Amino acid sequence: MSGEANELTIDLEAVLDREHVGDVGIPASAELLAFTNAVELGGDIDAARAALADAIGDEATLQAAATIAIFNGLVRVADGTGIRLDEGVFTASVDEREALGINRFAGAASSADVRARATESEPSGPVVVADLFG
Amino acid sequence: MNEIEEAQHDAGHEIAAAGDWLTGAERVAVWREARDARTNVLDQARRTAISPNAVDGEHPATAELSAPAMEVVHRTASDPGRLTRRWAEEQISVLGEEAYTESVGVTAIVAVLDRFDRAMGRPERPLPEPIGGEPSRVRPDDVGDVGAWVSQSTGPTRANVSRTLSLVPTTNRTWRQLVDTHYSRGAEFMNMCWEFALSRPQTELVAARTTALNECFY
Repeated sequence: MSGEANELTIDLEAVLDREHVGDVGIPASAELLAFTNAVELGGDIDAARAALADAIGDEATLQAAATIAIFNGLVRVADGTGIRLDEGVFTASVDEREALGINRFAGAASSADVRARATESEPSGPVVVADLFG
Repeated sequence: MNEIEEAQHDAGHEIAAAGDWLTGAERVAVWREARDARTNVLDQARRTAISPNAVDGEHPATAELSAPAMEVVHRTASDPGRLTRRWAEEQISVLGEEAYTESVGVTAIVAVLDRFDRAMGRPERPLPEPIGGEPSRVRPDDVGDVGAWVSQSTGPTRANVSRTLSLVPTTNRTWRQLVDTHYSRGAEFMNMCWEFALSRPQTELVAARTTALNECFY
């Protein structure tokens, strides 16, 4: 999606591998992942933030912090209200979810009947991230 | 103060006021308990167990929050990726789906504020003084069963994530303002090559890693 639009080849498996803090095909990815991991898993946040600021600047670093923050909220409203994965996303991401191990997350149970419907009908709803907050 | 920090300032103030089904004192208590979940012994034991149900114990009621409300706040704050429909239905049967949803929503909002402060190396902001007043206790007309654990808006929407808190419109307004300033950015959300300091691919990278670390399927 945004990777293609920006002509980047992104290693999705590495993005979702919590142990990986190196390059994934996005500028400053090592610093961004180190910062995210430090905030989420506990680590030297100050050092990670300083390294990130050296790489991308103070304003972008603040925006990275805001992104970490809002996704901490998003996972809680999504998992706390038990929303289903939208059919379009579900259908378009079958192979990726399997390959990346996302189906093992407990929240997958909320989408069990989306899985059943998706095999019977044409996809509907969002298929790309840009559709999510319209 | 930039628009991100302005939105956080506004959200902190709005949490202190009465919401849809919770009073200002109850909402501030949600913030206090959500913050406590980081170090709470029971929460951490559950979080590290193979199953949270394998750990005995419960959070006692406080002056502001009943035991089920405490359970909702602490579990949503500390281990959201392992919540289940059965667990939610148990809490909803006691709290009602509106108060349950608002408790989840306030927990999510304060998670945003506290995580941002931690990421930026800032001290925790002090809890606000509760503002008096009564909750609106208005259930929107256009909500119903759309397959989630709680009623949500049944009207057209691009995605389920955009209507998670539609049952509690006061809380939802605060939430949507945070989402817009921190991530979706209005019409720019459709732009895969936006011009913000953090590029779109960099933003999605941080979002994807954060979501994965929280084991969120959605």
